Amino acid sequence: MLNFILRRLAIAIPTILVIILFSFLLMHSAPGGPFTAERKLPPEVLANVEKKYGLDKPLYQQIGVYVKNVVTDFDFGPSFKYKNLTVNEIIASGFPVTLVYGMWSFLFATIIGVSLGVIAALKHNTWLDYLATSTAIIGSVLPNFVMAPLLVLLFTVYLNWLPGGGWEGGQWQFIIMPVIALATSYLASIARITRSSMLEVLNSNFIRTARSKGLPTHYIILHHALKPAMLPVLTSLGLSFVGMVTGSVIIDQYFSTGGIGQHFVNAALNRDYSVIMGVTILVGTLTIVFNLLVEILYAWIDPRIRY
Amino acid sequence: MNLLEVKDLGVQFDTLDGTVNAVNGISFNLKAGETLGIVGESGSGKSQTVFALMGLIARNGTTTGSIKYNGKEILNLPEKQLNKIRAEQISMIFQDPMTSLNPYTRVSDQLTEVLIHHKGLSKKQALIESVQMLDAVKIPQAKSRIHLYPHEFSGGMRQRVMIAMALLCKPQLLIADEPTTALDVTVQAQIMKLLSELQQELGTAIILITHDLGVIAGSCEEMLVMYGGRVMEYGNIKQVFSQPAHPYTKGLLHAIPRIDHQGDQLTTIPGSPPNMLRLPEGCPFEPRCGVALDTCKNVIPTLQEFTDNRYRACHSALEL
Repeated sequence: MLNFILRRLAIAIPTILVIILFSFLLMHSAPGGPFTAERKLPPEVLANVEKKYGLDKPLYQQIGVYVKNVVTDFDFGPSFKYKNLTVNEIIASGFPVTLVYGMWSFLFATIIGVSLGVIAALKHNTWLDYLATSTAIIGSVLPNFVMAPLLVLLFTVYLNWLPGGGWEGGQWQFIIMPVIALATSYLASIARITRSSMLEVLNSNFIRTARSKGLPTHYIILHHALKPAMLPVLTSLGLSFVGMVTGSVIIDQYFSTGGIGQHFVNAALNRDYSVIMGVTILVGTLTIVFNLLVEILYAWIDPRIRY
Repeated sequence: MNLLEVKDLGVQFDTLDGTVNAVNGISFNLKAGETLGIVGESGSGKSQTVFALMGLIARNGTTTGSIKYNGKEILNLPEKQLNKIRAEQISMIFQDPMTSLNPYTRVSDQLTEVLIHHKGLSKKQALIESVQMLDAVKIPQAKSRIHLYPHEFSGGMRQRVMIAMALLCKPQLLIADEPTTALDVTVQAQIMKLLSELQQELGTAIILITHDLGVIAGSCEEMLVMYGGRVMEYGNIKQVFSQPAHPYTKGLLHAIPRIDHQGDQLTTIPGSPPNMLRLPEGCPFEPRCGVALDTCKNVIPTLQEFTDNRYRACHSALEL
């Protein structure tokens, strides 16, 4: 097992390098640049600025310098758009925020999603199943840019219970709506996967054996059905986790939470090269780490899986 | 008194294509310590008959008729009361030991949970008794191997684990649903021998389901032949084998390959089993029967005792 983990981590390094290379090339092949503006800069000024940020060098040199800085100093460079801010500072200020509401979203989506799915499977083809299934469908067709205004309309405008935006160091009143808006679609898909995999497990031969042994239903669900039913769910949980803790531009814009999610879109629009690279590497690394974690959990759940 | 009295048992399934009548009025009795063999081809309703006994019919199924165990009605009992009967009174071994044991749980847990639930034993005591049971089904090094997962056992060993699991509470009735079908022939013989040894030791009655007439011949007293969800013939096994009274039983016995058989074609029963969604109006075997009469087409023959303790369901003249 340790061998497997070390091998996987070793493979992760070239994977991240490939991610860097591809994003770099894609980024530079997109038209425009960080200093393209409606009011054109005088050519001398532009040349000066580009020189300052090293954009006058050939692309392979730029990549080389970038990778060297990242590896030796963990320095992701200065932002091209926000003067006086480095990428490290941008991530350091935004990531803790998304981490907080992302983790809560993950917990919320997982606990409610799995419970809904299990209940739907247990009460297959009854009103409870239909209720849970339709909740899941409604959740999955409601995108967060619809959810967010609806929530604000209800909780802020009509009920006046929650503030309509802001973060304030992450007090609970400010977390609730971002969490619900972000988690809903994940919750729905977790519920659907749980339901179908639970149904499959409940129809399997070993569950019939467990029933023939006269074990109580709740015991069979907990001790025999839940673990195998979680395998397919686990696969989606790994990626959902990364998706949630890196936030969403809609949440950050709509609720002014100041998380990192907004930078994914804004940096791309601004051609803020170093920020694009920073957040891409962040997501790439998280994805690799959580996929590895999922694989380790697989082996823990299913004794037949050994690496 | 009979240990088990099954009367007019029916099992129906609601499917998208219509109602499937899997079992249509089965009746039989079983005395304590006896062995009954149920034979029939795939889809003849053998398994559904015993699933009804254990209350294991799928959710879209309904059951009719009556099943009396020790004089008490057990058909359609609520789950809670069924759970008192399952494992303690009636237990079951399934066809495929590969998928019937939980692959995610250690064998030790799958065995001990039965004793913990039904006899209220402590975990430690349950483990001791489980190891003894694995010893009894002749699993070598049971004490250490009990902690393995099912996939770490061979097919035959897994079926032994299943048998041990079914016998933990010393039930009065053991249902074996094709216990040897998934195993190779030498292992089959070992498992059947083990079953009959344990039966003698514990005095358990056994219902043995199989489509292998050889397995039945060696181990049963009574035999029930099923076709299209109905009983075709029922009686003492020696008499049924030597003097089959139903055309279907005759066909089955003829179809057993013999070592002195001449020619390259094996004898079969022409035609194929009925579609359970649209059973024939009359005898289900009529389309394949060589001696069918006109009445067979529209009138279902009832199961009738034609000599002492021998039953058959057929309109044609009795030829023994």
